[in-house]
Amino acid sequence: MKILKFINIISQFKDGLSKSRKDLANKLESLFHYSTNKLEFLERLEELLILSDVGILATSEIMNQFNQINFKEYKENNFIFFKEKLKDILIEILNSNTSKINIKRDKLNIVMIVGVNGSGKTSIAGKIAYSLKKEKNNILLVPADTFRAAGIQQLKILADQSGVEMINAIEGADPASVVYDGINAAQARKKNVVIIDTAGRLHTKINLMNELEKVKRVIQNKAKEFSLEILQVIDATMGQNAIFQAKSFNESLGVTGIVLTKMDGTAKGGIVIAIKKELNIPVKLISLGEKLNNLYNFEANKFVEALLD
Amino acid sequence: MFDSLTNKFQIIFRNIKNKGKLNENDIKNCLHEIRIALLEADVNYKVVKEFISELYNQAQKEKISESLTPTQQIIKIVNEEITKILGLKQNDIIINSNPPTIMLLAGLQGTGKTTTAVKLAHYCRKKGHKPLLIATDIQRPAAIEQLQTLGEKSNLPVFSIGKNENAVNIIKAAVKYSNKKDIDILIIDTAGRLHIDDKLMIELQEIERNIPLQEKLLIVDAMAGQDAINSAKIFCDKIKLSGIILTKLDGDSRGGVALSLKKVLGVPIKFVGLGEKIDNFQAFHPERMASRILGMGDVLTLIEKVESAYNEKEIKKLDKKIKNHNFDLNDFYFQLKKMKNIGSVNQIMDLIPGFNNIKNNIKFNRLSNEGNELKRIEAIISSMTIEERENPYIINGSRRKRIARGSGTQINEINRLLKQFHQLKEVLKKGPIIKNMSFH
Repeated sequence: MKILKFINIISQFKDGLSKSRKDLANKLESLFHYSTNKLEFLERLEELLILSDVGILATSEIMNQFNQINFKEYKENNFIFFKEKLKDILIEILNSNTSKINIKRDKLNIVMIVGVNGSGKTSIAGKIAYSLKKEKNNILLVPADTFRAAGIQQLKILADQSGVEMINAIEGADPASVVYDGINAAQARKKNVVIIDTAGRLHTKINLMNELEKVKRVIQNKAKEFSLEILQVIDATMGQNAIFQAKSFNESLGVTGIVLTKMDGTAKGGIVIAIKKELNIPVKLISLGEKLNNLYNFEANKFVEALLD
Repeated sequence: MFDSLTNKFQIIFRNIKNKGKLNENDIKNCLHEIRIALLEADVNYKVVKEFISELYNQAQKEKISESLTPTQQIIKIVNEEITKILGLKQNDIIINSNPPTIMLLAGLQGTGKTTTAVKLAHYCRKKGHKPLLIATDIQRPAAIEQLQTLGEKSNLPVFSIGKNENAVNIIKAAVKYSNKKDIDILIIDTAGRLHIDDKLMIELQEIERNIPLQEKLLIVDAMAGQDAINSAKIFCDKIKLSGIILTKLDGDSRGGVALSLKKVLGVPIKFVGLGEKIDNFQAFHPERMASRILGMGDVLTLIEKVESAYNEKEIKKLDKKIKNHNFDLNDFYFQLKKMKNIGSVNQIMDLIPGFNNIKNNIKFNRLSNEGNELKRIEAIISSMTIEERENPYIINGSRRKRIARGSGTQINEINRLLKQFHQLKEVLKKGPIIKNMSFH
């Protein structure tokens, strides 16, 4: 999937990130240029990481790596070296071989979107449909969010905007049966991609998590020769609870990737660093605005670069 | 909620308890652990810094190191300081003596504004008001339909005039409409917006300039991270907020954002959202929240919930039945339904001191199915004759078979239900249990 034109990658990231970048960049300037001693530097570094939602555990591990450096080897007041070092550490944590949406030409590709309430699942379903359609895929949207009032209508509007077909469903219907019908329809209409929007649910609600597991079972029983992506949507403004969210969804379903949304605000989205570090779930897509085309492939080095440069 | 913070403190204090007296180093270790716990709870970095230094000063002043009961001392200090940050007294909404009262709900995308608008309207209606919901979210696809559907379901009126008018005009039209309709509270649902989206922030300021607003409430997700302070600050700068509603507290987020917001903005937290149902909504109680953080449970909330589930008459009637040994299956079912209204077992356990510890150690799959369980019990009891319900002792084997067939359940489920009922009756014979439980 080539959502991004390679050349534009950094500038697009930077546009979306400009406000958050200014904020962070100023801090980094003073962090790397004006720290006068190791103690002050480390304290500022910790503040920076915590304020970016990287979390206490990942932060202290990064701090440990800095602690081991013999600062005397470097000229006093020159902390520029450490900026590169920080970049390297962050990229190493975020890098992954599997950070692309996996669309196979010879199979039915099923993309299931899950996440807590208000993370942006329906918008993401629309955006993924839009971008995969541009790559000449034959797509069917499935509104399995039958719980939220007008959730189906919302997806329908996005489907129309992206020129993608959506099967209909009735509010209150069993999501598993909607998905069953969806896969049936996709097979009959010779679609190669099915995108399933699910209802938002807190990861602590066991019944609702069971409901998702049932949806997954229906997919596995119904579709033959298929490739399944289970994408969890995580809001960049989320704090440390997102680790528990990712953990629960992963245990229930086996999450294959994370979509990071709302990166056009001032939140740093550092939580994905903590999630990657603790659960090794790769970030696959990043969303930087409300328009259908504001969705990009996630690339660790560019993400970190755009944040730190 | 706040689970882990609570557990953390309990572990810290257990370690201290074993030691008895504390030295300077112990206090420092303790503060260090508290710091980590607060940061893990997403309390803002700067707020934590200040909190810890205040705590240290307090600890010095009160000479903890010389105290013979250091645990109690530290609990007391931490409790006091957290309560101080959360705000000392409870804040209700401001109702205009000269109607209508107009309330504005604003916030980032996905925080739960529309759901909260409906809950708030329901809350006002329960207090005897006549609320009207106003749909001004012309940004998000199907947002107006969402509010309309929710309004319809809960029988609350929703005002909308489509997507082509600006927010100020929609609200003005709604005010005009409400004058004719005997409506005294207007609740404005707005589009979710980023605090750095100038165009949409100006829209909020336009509303503030043109409409007399009694309440300007910011909706904040309890799972929010460090940036919540930045966005809330800008909302507060642009339109002077009168309060905050914290949503999605029914998850396991530690909700540290509550501590930060109050401290930095000085704006009170007025309500909390605790679930997807319309009445999963309550006033925010700072002192209870603080004791909850410290693992002291929230017994006051529990009592209030029990009280609101039963009315005086029902309690008297039930009391009489129990005294006269007339307690039957109808009452049994009624009781179960009441319990359901009070909350799920999980929710109740959160509120009882010490129970949140136990909760983490037990698998609650069965208990979280209690909604289903209740439905089955309902089916079983409805399949009985009136005579059987009033005198369950007559239910013999063939009657059990018939009831199982009628309710689509198994005979062993009926056996279990009857056994539970008889056990309860035995207990009740020995005297009222409620009075034996000390809540104070």
